[in-house]
Amino acid sequence: MAQIDIQNVQKFFGHLQVLKNLNLTIADGEFVVMLGQSGGGKTTALRAIAGLESVTSGKILINGTEVQDRKAADRDIAFVFQSFSLYPHMTVRENIAFPLRAVRMKATERDKAVNEVAGILQIAEHLNRKPSALSGGDMQRVAIARALVRRPQALLMDEPLGVLDAKLREQMRAEIKRLHIARGSTSVYVTHDQIEAMSLADRIVILHDGVLQQVGAPDEIYLHPTNLFVAKFVGSPVMNINGVRIDGNGVTLSGADASFSFPDDALASVRGTAADLTLGVRPEAVLLQHQQTEGYIEVQTTNIEPLGSHDIVDIGLGEAVLRARTESGFISGEGQRVWARLDPAQAHFFDTATGLNLRGAN
Amino acid sequence: MAAVRTSGERTTNRLAIVLVLIITMIFLAPIYWIASTAFKPRNLATTIPPTVIFTPEISPFVKLFTKRSQLRAAPTPEEYEAAPWWERLVFDGGEKVVRSGRGEVQLSGYPSRFMNSLIVAITSTVLAVGMGTFTAYGFSRFKVKGEQDLLFFILSTRMLPPVVVAIPMFLMYRAVGLNDTHLGLIILYTAFNLSFAVWLMKGFIDEIPKEYEEAALVDGYTRMQAFFKIVIPEAATGIAATAVFCFITAWNEYAFALIMTNRRAQTAPPFIPSQVGSGLPDWTVIASGTLLFLLPVAIFTFLLRNHLLRGMSFGAIRK
Repeated sequence: MAQIDIQNVQKFFGHLQVLKNLNLTIADGEFVVMLGQSGGGKTTALRAIAGLESVTSGKILINGTEVQDRKAADRDIAFVFQSFSLYPHMTVRENIAFPLRAVRMKATERDKAVNEVAGILQIAEHLNRKPSALSGGDMQRVAIARALVRRPQALLMDEPLGVLDAKLREQMRAEIKRLHIARGSTSVYVTHDQIEAMSLADRIVILHDGVLQQVGAPDEIYLHPTNLFVAKFVGSPVMNINGVRIDGNGVTLSGADASFSFPDDALASVRGTAADLTLGVRPEAVLLQHQQTEGYIEVQTTNIEPLGSHDIVDIGLGEAVLRARTESGFISGEGQRVWARLDPAQAHFFDTATGLNLRGAN
Repeated sequence: MAAVRTSGERTTNRLAIVLVLIITMIFLAPIYWIASTAFKPRNLATTIPPTVIFTPEISPFVKLFTKRSQLRAAPTPEEYEAAPWWERLVFDGGEKVVRSGRGEVQLSGYPSRFMNSLIVAITSTVLAVGMGTFTAYGFSRFKVKGEQDLLFFILSTRMLPPVVVAIPMFLMYRAVGLNDTHLGLIILYTAFNLSFAVWLMKGFIDEIPKEYEEAALVDGYTRMQAFFKIVIPEAATGIAATAVFCFITAWNEYAFALIMTNRRAQTAPPFIPSQVGSGLPDWTVIASGTLLFLLPVAIFTFLLRNHLLRGMSFGAIRK
């Protein structure tokens, strides 16, 4: 197992820069998820660590050794592809044993290692079948077994659950987590699915347009997004993002006909800035009441999405729209008059031009 | 699968089978003609209407593999004396007389021509498919400068009818001593098939996801090892198909073989019609020679049938 350091890595494809000065340290035994939209550079970063992609400049270190100029075969890294990439002409056993043949391990030891990892991943009964005879989940297990059998320095996974159906994805997600806890392997996992990222990661790395946006534990990313991109990208339903004007203690959403009142300390970080401001509040931070209450302003419900465990309620105040999360059945229909307030502790003010969270990482 | 079929579907199915049978019979008619002629006594080979029922015999094959000539010798003094004066002039020129009633039987030219065909076709196929696979892999997996132009150039070698260059080729071959050699024909057929092999193999290799090799690369293999352990087995279908096409082309080639070879390295295609000769051709011998000539391609294709029929990649990549 190993620590991986990425230092000032740049990657160009022709004139297109896909990684912009990437710096990241992945600790020994850590499970890091790279999260971002497609084309954000996360897969390129992963392939660069594996040696499947060269870097234009910068260093990649595995356990303190520079590897950026080494071949993939010499990095002692395992890779799980989205397509699984099981060799169709080999049986499952041969597939799993393939990395061991590269190092010319003795046949008896090889069989032992294959049987052991097959046992862990519960694919022992499939060892003599061809990959094409397996279900998607079992193919995925074989791909992971092939990656783990060699006990590599690190396990890299590129959207390994991307082609599975939703139910299987959830099940395999739990298995990957269980496996990581059991083996403690340094893992880097690429996905565009924030739920996967949240549930698996020790730390999430958010990449957008080749630039690292934020690195942090899942709750940190969720509660304290450093910029508008992260705020909008993480969380479902998405955070309410509205332009705002601040007068004294009143926070007025653009297009709204009334203003929310915030305590002084909540506005301390944005006082005196000349910048245009954008307010981000997650739906659960939009609080609703049926009766007129101190500090609440009157709004109108416009749409309700009942989701079973909770409802998402759209409320209108003038032209502005906010989405609120309520317990299910709290609001019975559209066009109701209710009272709303924003939780100041969960409100984020962003500089509209730069996208940065003005509260910083508090 | 136990699918339920309606009577309508069953009728359609039967009609389809009948249609396939008719088409197959049309395609196989010439083969039948050759095969039946190859076993006919000579006097039944050209009857009108054709003889369908006859007792097969293998004398055409015996005649194919042997050649018989009449024994000749210098005239004895008695014969010389007995000859008229103008015949003596001929004897003086070295002409021999036929010893009537005595002949000699030798091995005909067919076995060696057949061997030549095998040597040339197999070697050129191996070379063309081998080089073609490597080249196609390079074009498929690496950024090659001027790739499109190069590929077009390779294809363009097939745009000219080959016979157009036959005479210049013959002159060049004669100048370097390659005419009537196995090597000469092998080079010729390899060059001719290579462009075809590159294009065909590129199509097949493009179909193999490059993740397979990448998986092998991170699993600790070099690119060359990945090529032999992953790409070649995955491309087996394509290699088999390409090999069949190259083999058929080289095996059947007539024009260059006729021009470039005459004896030592002559292949079967120009040899068989040369047996028609002047006078009344023995069609049974030609048919037997042709029938044997058909066999290697049929056997080769039959051996590779599983590879030819098998699907390209069978579902281990999920897209």
